[in-house]
Amino acid sequence: MKKGKITMAISLFFVCILFMAVMFMQFKTIDETDITAIENMRETELREAISTWKAKYEELEQRLTQVNTQISEYNESIETDKEASEVLDKELDSSNMLVGKTDVEGEGIVVTLADQEDYVRGSDLLELVNELRYAGAEAISINDIRVTNMTYIAEVTDGYIYVDGQRTTAPFVVKAIGNQTYLSSSLTLKNVGFVDKYTNSGIRVTLEKQKNVKILKTNQEMSVKYIEEVVSK
Amino acid sequence: MIIMIAIIVGCIIGIVIGLNSPIIPYTYSGYLAIAIIAALDSVFGGITATLNKNFNLKIFISGFFGNAILSILLTYLGQRLNVDIYLAAIVVFVGRMFNNLAIIRRYLIEKFSAKEIINTAQKMKKKREQKIQKNT
Repeated sequence: MKKGKITMAISLFFVCILFMAVMFMQFKTIDETDITAIENMRETELREAISTWKAKYEELEQRLTQVNTQISEYNESIETDKEASEVLDKELDSSNMLVGKTDVEGEGIVVTLADQEDYVRGSDLLELVNELRYAGAEAISINDIRVTNMTYIAEVTDGYIYVDGQRTTAPFVVKAIGNQTYLSSSLTLKNVGFVDKYTNSGIRVTLEKQKNVKILKTNQEMSVKYIEEVVSK
Repeated sequence: MIIMIAIIVGCIIGIVIGLNSPIIPYTYSGYLAIAIIAALDSVFGGITATLNKNFNLKIFISGFFGNAILSILLTYLGQRLNVDIYLAAIVVFVGRMFNNLAIIRRYLIEKFSAKEIINTAQKMKKKREQKIQKNT
């Protein structure tokens, strides 16, 4: 009877140790584990979290596509703007060249009027310029003074010719850029052409074709004071 | 008496060991929880048996470990089958625990009320004896 009690006590002792140890181990584990950590979440919680994240991801993806389309739209408009600005730039460049605001070069002719005994009149120069324009000259200069659409040629006294307010004297070197054959042929028409006409009247006119005629820009200031663009509606 | 001392000392040593033991991974803590419930059920069963004076050490120990291991295995199986079998185990064990608790409670109440009855009976007996003495 006594022996049975001792064995019972010992076995119950060990059972109690095991039971309490496991129980408090579990308490400690539960207390110290971070339940919000992903590794410790239960399956349902994980599922919920995944679904919410999925929804968020889809939303963000939608926004991403939206933003991407916007970006592509912007890019397209930028490209069109670029094209437009390129066209405008080209236009501006050509206008500047035609108006005389830039140095230009190209094929053309050089006409030299050297006076011997007779003076060269301002009207002669005007006629020459006119002829050149008629032959399609795109840029003209007299003694490196650019002839623009504002240019005037005035003869104050004999031999003193003012081009745009600058005095020039003989010999007059008139450069013109344009189609060489048109220019030279229109000037060298027999008898009625400029060269023949003035050579006959005693002025030495030489005409030279050049592959690369260089014409400087105008040194006059061009300002708009009175004219306005008519805006048509 | 020696048994009570063994149980109390064992409990204290177990608590100390449990508090100083390393943490087990969270995934296995679920199994351990079921095992604890099963063991607790066995303990209540043992107390009930003691009160009914038919406590058997072999039955207690085999039930203690057997229930724990079986519940762990069932939980594992449930996880493999994707069925929450551990819920069934908890229902069974906790239901039995309440049954045992009811038996213990009834036993204690009956014990105390029996004592009261005996006490009142003894008091009445004394009074009657006093009356008889006065009469004589």
